[in-house]
Order: sequence, then structure tokens, then C-alpha cells
Amino acid sequence: MSASSNSFQKLPQSPDVLGELLHSLSQPLTSLRCSLELSIGEVAEPQQDCVAVALEQTEKVIGMIQLMREYLDSQQPVPESFSCALAPVIRSVIDELSSIALVRGVQLRLVGTCSATIPVPESRLRLALQYLVAAVIEAQSVGGRVILLLGEGPAGAVLRGEGEPSFREPFGPTTSLLRVKLAIASRVVENAGASLVFGDLGPGGFVLRVPRPVA
Amino acid sequence: MRIGLGFTPTQTKPMRILIVEDDAALASFIRKGLEAEHHAVDVAGEGNQGRAMAMEVDYDLVVLDLNLPVLDGLSVLKSLRQRKANLPVIILSARSRIEDRVQCLDSGADDYLVKPFSYLELSARARALLRRSHLPSESVLTVRDLCLDRVERKVKRAGRHIELTTKEFALLEYLMRNAGRRLTRAMIIEHVWNLTFDSTTNVVDVYINYLRRKVDDGFSPSLIHTVRGVGYQMSPEGASA
Repeated sequence: MSASSNSFQKLPQSPDVLGELLHSLSQPLTSLRCSLELSIGEVAEPQQDCVAVALEQTEKVIGMIQLMREYLDSQQPVPESFSCALAPVIRSVIDELSSIALVRGVQLRLVGTCSATIPVPESRLRLALQYLVAAVIEAQSVGGRVILLLGEGPAGAVLRGEGEPSFREPFGPTTSLLRVKLAIASRVVENAGASLVFGDLGPGGFVLRVPRPVA
Repeated sequence: MRIGLGFTPTQTKPMRILIVEDDAALASFIRKGLEAEHHAVDVAGEGNQGRAMAMEVDYDLVVLDLNLPVLDGLSVLKSLRQRKANLPVIILSARSRIEDRVQCLDSGADDYLVKPFSYLELSARARALLRRSHLPSESVLTVRDLCLDRVERKVKRAGRHIELTTKEFALLEYLMRNAGRRLTRAMIIEHVWNLTFDSTTNVVDVYINYLRRKVDDGFSPSLIHTVRGVGYQMSPEGASA
């Protein structure tokens, strides 16, 4: 294989190329979305369903673009100035997701606390934790429980997510978007020097370890 | 029945708005939407022209794209801030990274919307900015006979006290603050639940149902309406949507 074909094969994996494509896609998609939103009330009743379906499908594509952006962003190095405390963010995520758990008939509870900070922008950590906790909730059947145990030891802080009883493996290939979200979560925490292990506590479980910073 | 744009012109005083956007199609859609809200709208297709117009005319709001020909949006923003420190500016950008957002806000932008944004979201942010710069914050929101006291955390309809959970209260407040406007499920989940991801949850629909039972059942007219293909709308007119 020639050197030129080798470099060609590398192009699609380059974050810069993907970033540029996403950037270019976002412009026509904005026009498309705005035009559909503005026209849905302007067209006659029989056509409204068609516009509604077009808008729904456009929003799905936009959702995937958002995920691709998050994936690319999660691979970027974090500027040194960013840092946030783990405990308040996980508490806030639990608060945000508790009503979603309730609607699914799942109990969601956080036990413990810690003083650990992670060198990552708060919004990125929030996103990673939302994806993790949402995955554990999704793995529960009605009447299930999700317990998040937050603690601190000599090696650092640990957040364990565990479902009882878990009925579904959320990391399997059938739930591709969930896998992408978990890949993003994993990249975010690993980029910040933490580690994430899935499935340690049975299906849907995870263990997030935040090491103590070296003095 | 025609849903219409779902805007209530009396809710926001008509403003003069400048759009600086080089994509003609997008600029025309934004213009169309804002004009339907009875605002006077001008459009500039490149940065220098946008800066000149913003300097010469007393606009109430500038909607500024970052990626502009001739002079980029960030330079326009910095230049504007030297002469018009209080002019509200919303940045439109395809750059979603936190660092880009921080740089724009640090340079004086009042808000930042990432493409592909929703027109309804842009409209809501514009209203919020205009409200902030022209009106004091309301502590009591009223839609017909429904009153929500943001300070006392109390809700009444036709004088009858209504008990709401924290999330129901937040949802009702968001609907009332945007009464007469269509809100997508994505907007609701982002603003009320603070979730930005594409979730498969039906939590918005479930909570809208909870609210309807408490706020609309037994009262007339119904205030919370489903807007087919879009989401929900609190209608002060009580008309079905």
C-alpha cells in the first residue's frame, strides 16, 4: 500500500476533519430546522403532519450531530484552569434525573459524599454523570432501585452505581446511542485522570475512581 | 385549524433588531420569525456592514453570527462593546466548545446559541434578554385566572390553591413565562430538567399530564395545549392549538 493511500485512510479519523464536517453540516441544518418550525403553523392541516415528521427527523439528525460533537470534545485536552467538585455535581445530576427515574418506576438514591475535585469543566462532568446515571436507570425494570455510593479513601474518591435488580445490559450492541453516550462519559473522566469501569457490579453497574492529586 | 406562529404580540414590546448573518437563507428565516413577532428587523450579510449598522442605529438587540466574511463576529462584538456597552448581543455559532463560549461571553456577549439551534429557542432567548434590559423581573406570573408566585412558591387558579411538586412548579413557571409561545420538548427538558442530551424519556409528556390534572381539570378554559409536531404551549386565549 502506498504512503498516499495510508494518509487518505487516516483522514476520516482526524478530529479536525470531522469537526469541520460537523461545522459545515450545522449551517444548512439550522436553516432547515428554522424553516420547518416556522412553516408548521403556516401550512394547511393535511400537510402539517408531513412537516411535523420532517421536523422530528431533522431534530433526530441534530441530536446525533450533538453526540458527535460531544464525542470530539471529550477527546480534547482540558485547559488547566478548569476544575470542579464531584459531590455537588453528582447531587445535582441525581436531582435532575430523579423525576425521570420516577416516571420509569425506578427509585434513585445517593448515599455518601466526598471532597474530591476533578480537573474538567463542570458542564462536561455533568454530561458524563448524566449519561452514566441515565444508563443505570435504563437498565432497571419497573420497581427497581438505583443506588449511587459516593465515598473517599486513601487512594481517592469512588462513585459506585448499582441497580437492583438489573434486567438489561446497557452496554450491549443493541443500544448503540447509549454506547456512544457511555463512550463519551468514559472519555471525559479518563481525560481528567479518573477511571471508569462498567459492569463491575453486574449489568448496568459502574465504578468511577478519582485518584487523589499528587502533592 | 391553523396553529400560526403562536406568538402573542402584546407580550413583548416591538423592538428593533439587527441580524448579522452571512447565510442568506438562515437570515431570512430568522427575520421572518422575528417580524411575525412584530419586531423591526434589519439584516447585514458581513461583519463590517453589521458593525457600521450597529454603530449608527439604536438597536434593542443584535443577533451576531461568529463566522462572518470580511470582519469576524468576535471582532464585531469587541468593537461594539467599546461604544455600546449595554446593547444586548446574542452570538450564533457552530462552535460548541466551552472555551469558545467562554471567550464570547468574556468579550461581552449576553448569550450564546450553538448551531443548529431552534428558532423557538432563539426567540425565547431574545425575549429573555429584552425583558431583562427593559423590564424588572416579575415575581408573580399571571395567565388568565392562573397565578404563580415565584417568591412565595404558590400557585392559584380561580382563587383556589394548587399544590405542586418542585418539578411541576418549575415546568409551570417555564410555560407561563413563555405563555403564547410554542415550546418544543427539547427546550422544556433543557430548561426545566437541565438535561442537554437527546433522551428517549417521555418525562415531559408525563409531567405535562400531571400539570394538566392539577391546573386544567375542573377549570375552564384549558390553558395547556399540545402543539402537534412541536410540543406544548400555554395559551392565554384558551384556544385549542
